[in-house]
Amino acid sequence: MNLTRLKPYLPWITLVTLTLLVGIANPAFFNPVGLMGLVADIVPLFIMALGMTFAIYIGGIDLSMQQMANLVTVVATVYLAQFGIAVAFICIITGFLFGAISGFVTTRLYVPSFVSTLAVGFVALSGAKYLSGERALSMDATLRNESFGWMFTTVAGIPSELIIAGVLLFIAWFLQTRTTFGRALKAVGSGELAAVASGLNVDKIKILAFAISGTFAAIAGLMFSVKLSGGDANLANGFLLLAIVAVLVGGTPLTGGVGGVINTVIGTLIVVVIRSAMIYLEVDATQQQMVFGVVLIAAIALTIDRSKLRGIVK
Amino acid sequence: MYQLNAVDKKFPGVHALKAVDFEIKRGEIVGLVGENGAGKSTLMKVIYGAYQPDGGSITIDGKAVRFSNPRQAMDHGIGMVFQEQSLILNLTVMENIFLGYEQQFVSYGVINWKKMAAAARHQLSKVKLDIDPATITSELSFAQRQLVELAKVLTLEERVDGDLVILLDEPTSVLAKEEVELLFKLVRELTNRASFIFVSHRMDEVLDLSDRIYVMKDGAVVDVVAHDEAKVDAIQHKMVGRDVDKEYYREQKQRPYSDEVLVSFDGVSDGRKYRDMSFDLHRGEVLCLVGTEGSGREAILRTIFGLETPTEGSVSIKGNRITRFNAQNGVALGVGYIPRERKIEGIVNGMNVYENMTLSQMANYSSGGVLKTSDEKALARDWIQRLAIKTPDVYKDCGGLSGGNQQKVVLAKWRSGGSDIILLDHPTRGLDIGAKEDVYEMVRAMCDDGAGIVLVADTLEEAIGLSHTILVLKDGKFQKRFDGRPGEKPSLYDLVHHMI
Repeated sequence: MNLTRLKPYLPWITLVTLTLLVGIANPAFFNPVGLMGLVADIVPLFIMALGMTFAIYIGGIDLSMQQMANLVTVVATVYLAQFGIAVAFICIITGFLFGAISGFVTTRLYVPSFVSTLAVGFVALSGAKYLSGERALSMDATLRNESFGWMFTTVAGIPSELIIAGVLLFIAWFLQTRTTFGRALKAVGSGELAAVASGLNVDKIKILAFAISGTFAAIAGLMFSVKLSGGDANLANGFLLLAIVAVLVGGTPLTGGVGGVINTVIGTLIVVVIRSAMIYLEVDATQQQMVFGVVLIAAIALTIDRSKLRGIVK
Repeated sequence: MYQLNAVDKKFPGVHALKAVDFEIKRGEIVGLVGENGAGKSTLMKVIYGAYQPDGGSITIDGKAVRFSNPRQAMDHGIGMVFQEQSLILNLTVMENIFLGYEQQFVSYGVINWKKMAAAARHQLSKVKLDIDPATITSELSFAQRQLVELAKVLTLEERVDGDLVILLDEPTSVLAKEEVELLFKLVRELTNRASFIFVSHRMDEVLDLSDRIYVMKDGAVVDVVAHDEAKVDAIQHKMVGRDVDKEYYREQKQRPYSDEVLVSFDGVSDGRKYRDMSFDLHRGEVLCLVGTEGSGREAILRTIFGLETPTEGSVSIKGNRITRFNAQNGVALGVGYIPRERKIEGIVNGMNVYENMTLSQMANYSSGGVLKTSDEKALARDWIQRLAIKTPDVYKDCGGLSGGNQQKVVLAKWRSGGSDIILLDHPTRGLDIGAKEDVYEMVRAMCDDGAGIVLVADTLEEAIGLSHTILVLKDGKFQKRFDGRPGEKPSLYDLVHHMI
């Protein structure tokens, strides 16, 4: 069996192999309660990776997600007292708008998405710093529990966070596989020129894709902020790399068009397993990013569709 | 001197070269002719080292050689003068001539420009081009650039011991008649230093220049003709495998078109590629735009589809004057576009048959934005049957279909959506004969159904055979209109005369 045929199954094989390896080294890993906790812990990352999937699926990337989440943690903390649970809408709209701006800059001003989103990310970061006065803010415990306490309950033994992740996954999956928008995303990711020549409004589709990734970044930021009961401009740092790794090891290549949100589920689980393995092996926190950096390069090299690059990489 | 023995080359799904024997003698000019897709360019690429053969051998003076890249071929004296001009336009002429071989002018890590200019002047004198080597290449005319290309290849003379083989790929396609004569004179003079392989679509030129002519068809050499025995008809017969006759283009199925105007151009310019275009496309009409590469044909198609906004004049589609040019409007008005680059613009490689067919009309196969996949599949099954598309099922990735079947999928996409203004850009490029005939049948069938077709044909014969009306363009300007009623079609010569 050659590598091309194997490629679609690579993420699954990786996940199972890694899980078994970690499990054999540390049988306590398979404890269901511990596992569920581990998974629930990763929900904000998973949501961010879901959003990232849309940007990468069309052959772009969204480097603003981490800063967007940072901004949202501050927005949520600052405006919680004033708006209560409605602050969630403010957060989501913020994410949607910032994402749409990235999309606009990418499509209408012809700035490649890795630059446009990087720039928009810095705008968001500076917004977060301004709004927070560069301090770590915390939420009023009563207000937080009144509005968002339900996030930490369990339903039939399943943490609500996991249910939220499940609902968002369903929405993302439905969008991607069942709607005309999802089909258009695939067309843009697989063959943008053909999509243009079929009369699709490619600019609109791309702007929407970035708006969706911004929205997911905002939801991730909101959950993060509620979890840690506060907000500051650095709260979500470290998540960007992991989100990109999750999407790429899941099997959605940087060139776009294949893979999708289900792959991102696998990818996120792989990240979880690698992370817990590193904790078990007592890899220093400062070195963990290094490991993920290497994993990222390996994942890109394995998944990228070289025929689409036509030999030119800059 | 230079020989290919039973050279074979395969690509996924295509047997591009079938045991090709090819020989070129010292000082000889060898012509190479064949239809598009006959394997000429593959053969050229094998010769100058861009492709490695899967079978057979290459020998120079009896010694076997193997090139892994063009540079190695160059070291053996084999150079290519490219059709679409390999010069980098923002470099000077001398930088282009010695691109990649600057080392000879370097002392202490710095290029000695005077030395390079002198050497460049020497090369330019070989092709009788009297220009300053420090000229920026973009300032030269096409004909001058073509000569610079040749001069660049002729640097092999100094670099390589032994004989040279120089490939000329369609060198005359952008040249005027006098320039062609000059080039030919030059090539004949140069045969004391090099052998030439000359590829051209223009049969008369090949006959005029070549000592021997290789005729290719479907990846094989079907005949080798000596200069004195060469006849255009006989060679064409061999190339196509039969006489090029009226049957081929389904002329007996060409019916008069109606009075109803579908597309109307009135004094339209796009400010760059064409200007002051006026014409009407009627229901049931095949209107063919004829001209050389860069004459503005493609830009006109893109304007009709809505991808390019004109700067002057008015465009009406079915009586609606177009004010906002975008592809969504075009599609809504019934325009369907079949672009030249089938694999990257026509089909989406990575999407299956039904996804490709409904891509331009998803609104009809969805409600509230949710796709009705079973309707899509039903549509695909229907059109697979109607157009006899060869695919195992509707789930097959279109990237894996053959060229002809990909083209059918693209046509099905537009026809099933009710498009009745069909823009065809080189619809038969790279297709084999059978698939071409399928496309011709479809063109006639679409006209019978009341569609109007704007065609940019792959060959002039195709343009003449298929069209009701021919508009000849040159450098973005309208030259002449021909009516092509069956039996009263213009000749090749009539058209070429106005093209260049």
